[in-house]
Amino acid sequence: MAEVGDVRKAFRHVGKPVPRVDAPAKVTGRTIYGDDLKLPRMLHVKLVHAPVAHARIKGIDASKALAVPGVEAVITAQDLPPHRYDPDNRTRVLLARDEVLFYGQPVAAVLARDPYTSAYARDLVEVQYEELPPVLDPLEALRPDAPLARGSVQALEEGEVGGHITVEGAEARKEEGPRNVASTITFKRGDVEQGFKEAAAVVEGTWRTPMAHQSYIEPHVIVADYDSTGRLSIWSSTQAPFHVRNEVAKTLGLPETRVRVISTEVGGGFGGKIYLYEALVGALAMTLQRPVKLTMSRKEDMLAATPAPNCIVQLKMGMKADGTLSALKARVIFDTGAFPGAPLLPGCLLIGGFYKCPNLEIEGLEVFTNKVSVGALRAPGAHNVAFALESALDMLARRLELDPMEVRLKNAVEKGDPLPSGQPYPAIGLKECLEAVAKSQLWQRRHEIRAHPNRGVGLAVGGWLGGLQPASATVTLNADGTVNALVGAADITGTNTAFAQIVAEVLNLPLEMVRVTTGDTDSAPYAGMSAGSKVTFTVGRAVKLAAEDAKEQILRIASQRLEAPPEELELVDGVVRVRGREDKQLTFRELGRWSTAFGGRYPPIVGRGAVAPRLQAPSFSAQAVEVEVDPNTGQVQVLSWVVAQDVGFAINPMAVEGQMQGGSTQGLGLALFEEMAYDEQGRLLNPNLLDYRLPTTADVPPIETIIVEVPSEDGPYGARIVGEPSIVPGPAAVANAVADAIGARVFQAPLTPEKILHALGKIKD
Amino acid sequence: MRPFSYFIPASLQEALAIFQREGEGGRPIAGGTDLVVQLKEGGHKFPYPRYLVSVRRLPELRRLEWVEGEGLRLGAAVTMAEIEASPIVRERYLALAEGARVVGSRQTANMATVGGNLCNAAPSADTAPPLLVLGAKARILGPRGERLLPLEEFFLGPGRTVLEHGEVLVEVLLPPPLPRSASAYRRHTPRQCMDIAVVGVAAFLALDEAGEKIAEARIALGAVAPTPIRAHRAEALLVGRPASPEVLGEAALMAREEASPISDVRGSAQFRRYLVGVMTEAVLEEALSRARGR
Ligand SMILES: Cc1cc2nc3c(=O)[nH]c(=O)nc-3n(C[C@H](O)[C@H](O)[C@H](O)COP(=O)(O)OP(=O)(O)OC[C@H]3O[C@@H](n4cnc5c(N)ncnc54)[C@H](O)[C@@H]3O)c2cc1C
Repeated sequence: MAEVGDVRKAFRHVGKPVPRVDAPAKVTGRTIYGDDLKLPRMLHVKLVHAPVAHARIKGIDASKALAVPGVEAVITAQDLPPHRYDPDNRTRVLLARDEVLFYGQPVAAVLARDPYTSAYARDLVEVQYEELPPVLDPLEALRPDAPLARGSVQALEEGEVGGHITVEGAEARKEEGPRNVASTITFKRGDVEQGFKEAAAVVEGTWRTPMAHQSYIEPHVIVADYDSTGRLSIWSSTQAPFHVRNEVAKTLGLPETRVRVISTEVGGGFGGKIYLYEALVGALAMTLQRPVKLTMSRKEDMLAATPAPNCIVQLKMGMKADGTLSALKARVIFDTGAFPGAPLLPGCLLIGGFYKCPNLEIEGLEVFTNKVSVGALRAPGAHNVAFALESALDMLARRLELDPMEVRLKNAVEKGDPLPSGQPYPAIGLKECLEAVAKSQLWQRRHEIRAHPNRGVGLAVGGWLGGLQPASATVTLNADGTVNALVGAADITGTNTAFAQIVAEVLNLPLEMVRVTTGDTDSAPYAGMSAGSKVTFTVGRAVKLAAEDAKEQILRIASQRLEAPPEELELVDGVVRVRGREDKQLTFRELGRWSTAFGGRYPPIVGRGAVAPRLQAPSFSAQAVEVEVDPNTGQVQVLSWVVAQDVGFAINPMAVEGQMQGGSTQGLGLALFEEMAYDEQGRLLNPNLLDYRLPTTADVPPIETIIVEVPSEDGPYGARIVGEPSIVPGPAAVANAVADAIGARVFQAPLTPEKILHALGKIKD
Repeated sequence: MRPFSYFIPASLQEALAIFQREGEGGRPIAGGTDLVVQLKEGGHKFPYPRYLVSVRRLPELRRLEWVEGEGLRLGAAVTMAEIEASPIVRERYLALAEGARVVGSRQTANMATVGGNLCNAAPSADTAPPLLVLGAKARILGPRGERLLPLEEFFLGPGRTVLEHGEVLVEVLLPPPLPRSASAYRRHTPRQCMDIAVVGVAAFLALDEAGEKIAEARIALGAVAPTPIRAHRAEALLVGRPASPEVLGEAALMAREEASPISDVRGSAQFRRYLVGVMTEAVLEEALSRARGR
């Protein structure tokens, strides 16, 4: 780390803590969000959400709703314009057609002059349902005699043609194996049975993590306008404007160039704001020839967005007496809800991807149930498997009387170690993170802490491989000598601030002279979605190249004007000068004028950067947690928390620390509180933030952050992915701390007082 | 939300007259922290009011005053923040201050009223168990005049009270505390704050002159029955007995039996019953140590 510190000294902007440029507007309430948008003649839509988990739609009577003054239309699946319908793809089922597959699924849309009228009239739409048995528990769903949550992929395709007979035929064919399977994955290495024979200790268990909601503070907002030239504009608080454009175009059968997506300020996403009802709202705008706005309430968002799946991990692990892992056997089951889309691949890669293990066997199953379709939540699938893996590792360490830190250091993956897929890791810093936590105050104090009755310390790690997607950017010089950067990536974590730092660094400008804008899909250079922690890592590189390109163009002109070779020129605060010659200089303002004014002699300065990164820069985090458990009430209070994360190079340490604290806080929430609870009919019991509990400030202790910097091979200034990894260890770290405190282990998150009292034997079923 | 009329009367008399004039379909509104949420969420399934009458600023409902020989007059529109900050409540009716203190956030506490808390009649209402053990009476005014009821008779079921159309809860009357007495309230919530009681327990204990035996005892439980309830049998086990840990433990076990909790998303019935036991014991101990300190 010493060397990295020296590197940091060489920079003026990157590596320095900078408050987000958009922070003042946000905290003073001046930021314009999607819900602030008003277009002339705009209608407000509310969706009719099915009150049953599985049913056939027998009929829809909208007459009462249509009679409400101010209601303009009630649209059902039959009324939508022709589009690409695909029963297997949640994004291609705009409204339920014949069958409702989950509680809350939209079956109709009510459009009115204001949102109150549409909400009121929505309750007057009468839908007749013939209820079907709901499939809710993924393990039950897999039984050969289980009812089907939905037609299988194939059956539905035939069903389109041949009706019910074909569906029954498909059911008969499937009678043998497990049912309701959406997809499977297997990874094998070595010989697990041999590995278990070599083990001095073997642990086995089933760990469960429930469905969880991303709980962004701003629910989904979409506005669509179909203008007289046949162009569809969509304003959406999406993390993925280009993805939305492409998907909407495909679904509605429009050329991509006819769809423009403007990503409005994202009031939180965490993976849940990729793509939801944009095509539906677009279709409604096309049908009614009027702008349409959908602002979802908290309840609607919890019923019908894309939360994270519940997951069951059956895990068996063996360890030799010296602490080396000898075998890992896992069955990972993700409940994907009514449509495919669960993070099965990352879950199965990561459960065998944190530690070296010569023998492993991982089987993954993605299972259909009658629940809302799932999506990504910050490092999707990772916290679920880490909960099992990191708990089991602690159990093994305890069994063999080994130190949990030592055991992890001994087995932690390093550069060159293979993932379960065989793909080797590039440079990574898992060990360095563990070492950083080992040196922390909290870890040093752990024996003292454990001397208190009912207090304990837990350790866990987690990581994320990160996404890759091409990205581009432009950097232009304005007439007034300031600089603009234009990108296509939605800024959710302060990435535009990091880009400003990069541009200011390359051009050696004060930060205030750089403005970064996220453009819409018509005007911005392409960027992939703001997901997979990769925005700074990929778009940041493009921004750096674009700034360097602009610099070269500036130097070329300056070299002519100042009659000096470019190598002898330097850029200082918006001035280009010949090194050592204060008299020979020109300003960015002059350059800006000459390249923009009437009769200007030079072409405008437009720097361009484009990259297609191929090498991931995975990031790991190690976390230690101190808890106190009340043995009478089962209540857990988290007293302190340390998070170390390898970020390669922290371009903006303040933003990086914010990410580490935010991820840790979400990990704490998943550990202790968060759970979407369903009844036996598949109805969501807590579609609100009262009973779906997020941690409050009173529940979160001060979180100490330790930035670890093992440079990536490919990222800007050695930066690697940052956003996601810090959420991963939380549930396991807390469970390990609770086990340390009370000597009892809870296998099911969240660790509610009730479950802890069960584990302590104080209450029984 | 649907359209409704909104009245802001200047006096209680005027408020009552509005209910008379406008007829069925009206409701009082105080801080609105329960009602507005219900209006927004309920759609047409909620018995939607045609009109609301604001009682928040009615002088008769805003009193918080100590009357020598009579006790405390606590107006229905006094807010949680005001209750918590009141020196007289803190000194003489500590359980009530403890109940008011945990309601929602700062913002909630500045709007939420004690009358709204009682009239909303949630089994988990945090001021109900304290007021029950403090011997509160409810003063109600309506078209048929005045009624004065022990608070125990006020609640009928979840969301239901004895109030009829046009009736307003004016104030709650608390008798002066007995010598050598004290009260306490605690609730269990998964989070540290901003949560609804899974179980709430209030206790009031008065000691005899020697400070050894329990002269009077009251225990009230929240969120474990269709309404906030008194645990009369547990109380009976305490009166006249020595104030010992064993005796308090016996009463706690009895309180467990008196609870009739349901299972819901906030906790199972058996978990709630278990909590009634451990929490009643803890709250009785707290009240006892406070009473001894007097
Ligand atoms: C964020 C949040 C957190 C909360 N946390 C808690 C908590 O921790 N504990 C808790 O117990 N509650 C909690 N609540 C619920 C609520 O704040 C309390 O019940 C509050 O005391 C209600 O008072 P109010 O003045 O807002 O009542 P309102 O909402 O105005 O009225 C509630 C009901 O009482 C009726 N009413 C009001 N005043 C009178 C009167 N004088 N006479 C006759 N009828 C009347 C109304 O018609 C309505 O039916 C919370 C609410 C929110 C929004």
